[in-house]
Amino acid sequence: MTSQKTNNGQLPASFRDPSGFLFSRGRVLYRQVNHAYELEYARLMESGLYERLIKVGLLIPHVEADQPPAESEAAYKIIQPERVPFISYPYEWSFGQLKDAALVTLSIQKRALKLGMSLKDASAYNIQFVRGKATLIDTLSFENYKEGEPWVAYRQFCQHFLAPLALMALKDVRLNQLLRVYIDGVPLDLASELLPTKTRLNFGLLTHIHLHAGAQKKYAGEEVKSRNGALRVSKQAMTGLIDNLESTIQRLNWTPRGTEWGNYYSITNYSDAAFEHKKQLLKEWTARIQPAMAWDLGANNGVFSRVVSETGSYVVSFDIDPAAVEQNYQTSKKEKEQNILPLLLDLTNPTPALGWANRERESFGARGPADMVLALAVIHHLAISNNVPLPQLADFFAKTGKWLVIEFVPKSDSQVKKLLASREDIFPNYTRTGFESAFKEKFIIHEAVEIRESERVLYLMESH
Amino acid sequence: MHFAPLPYLDPGSGSFLIQLAIAALLGLGIAFRASWGKIKGWFGIKPKPEEDDDESENK
Repeated sequence: MTSQKTNNGQLPASFRDPSGFLFSRGRVLYRQVNHAYELEYARLMESGLYERLIKVGLLIPHVEADQPPAESEAAYKIIQPERVPFISYPYEWSFGQLKDAALVTLSIQKRALKLGMSLKDASAYNIQFVRGKATLIDTLSFENYKEGEPWVAYRQFCQHFLAPLALMALKDVRLNQLLRVYIDGVPLDLASELLPTKTRLNFGLLTHIHLHAGAQKKYAGEEVKSRNGALRVSKQAMTGLIDNLESTIQRLNWTPRGTEWGNYYSITNYSDAAFEHKKQLLKEWTARIQPAMAWDLGANNGVFSRVVSETGSYVVSFDIDPAAVEQNYQTSKKEKEQNILPLLLDLTNPTPALGWANRERESFGARGPADMVLALAVIHHLAISNNVPLPQLADFFAKTGKWLVIEFVPKSDSQVKKLLASREDIFPNYTRTGFESAFKEKFIIHEAVEIRESERVLYLMESH
Repeated sequence: MHFAPLPYLDPGSGSFLIQLAIAALLGLGIAFRASWGKIKGWFGIKPKPEEDDDESENK
């Protein structure tokens, strides 16, 4: 999963927490629990909270491992959490994914409060999609709850979840990309400024975002915490707060407009026969290769991803269109699919490495390579719309996965004609021969099949 | 208007105070609903059974 680590195997994403950290040994991922976290860990395991959260799939399961610790002085226990097949980040999620991650966080907090614990973090990065569901992966996120104490993660929850969700639902869905710039969530003063004025009429948004931002500015730098213990949040008030955040988020919705749901493939130039032929070839080739991890680049709403995931492979289904990713995610949720992960990705500008020393959040490429990459009906966008020369495309795909299923879309194809209608044809090498000779530099071409009732060719290649 | 973060001004205090205010208000709401439920109870109106959220799966 991750290639970056420090000397003792510690993963660079978990350096902040004094409670413990992740490290890898061999190909196995472990989490060291430090002595500093002994009481909390014991309470999590003994209060019944762990069991309850596992039962409803809200927390990643782990086993206690008999392993020497990575840093022995601080070590209390070593645990081995279930491995997450693919780590994704909130700026790669659709609206529905971020919303579910938010609701899962609140649901965990409610259950924790009932058993005398509270989340000390409400980071969107602590949520991952496991078996199709948003799941908390940081076992060390809990602290013992003391009645009267406020929720320490309140501000973080507003920045990581509420602000981006409100901006996506009520301003523009593309504003989730602010999370790429602001690694600790959208600053509330910025959210307050960007949100439409009418959001001040929504009690939840008025208080948790607009007034919250105002209070941050007004009381910035003032010491308020130690005033004679009068400043308390009762348990009832805490419950009211969590319930209100929950209902505020539940009422935020985003339904894709413009690109009509379910109509993606009716606007292409595929006949049914061509569509079926493509599916058939993909099914045969997947059965032959049996990839554990496949990446579908330009997956649209995931029709072809599902041909692969139905054979048992885990498929990350990337697309640039937030509407397509949302539809893909809603389908996977409805069908309770466990091995498909829809994500937002602009292939012409893939997710970079981010955070402290650029090592906290991995780039798109660092999370690979995949066993199999699908590039269906995508090459003309990269070669013609984005002017990437064919040899560079071959190089990119060879680094991204071992096997490649790629569709060549010739200039005579009506979709390519559309792309060329508004630009000068400066692509003399964009021919089937030019494509094959560029890709032969990096791949062995095992199959090249002309798709029925179309001018397109589907290739199966293996990188060498 | 400041466009650069002010390095020594922590937004934590404001977050703390606003949480206190909102939570107090919402806590009152819960208390009110609970008493209202009791009043309704005197007139024989039964409250809706509280959903056991342990039964609801993470969907």
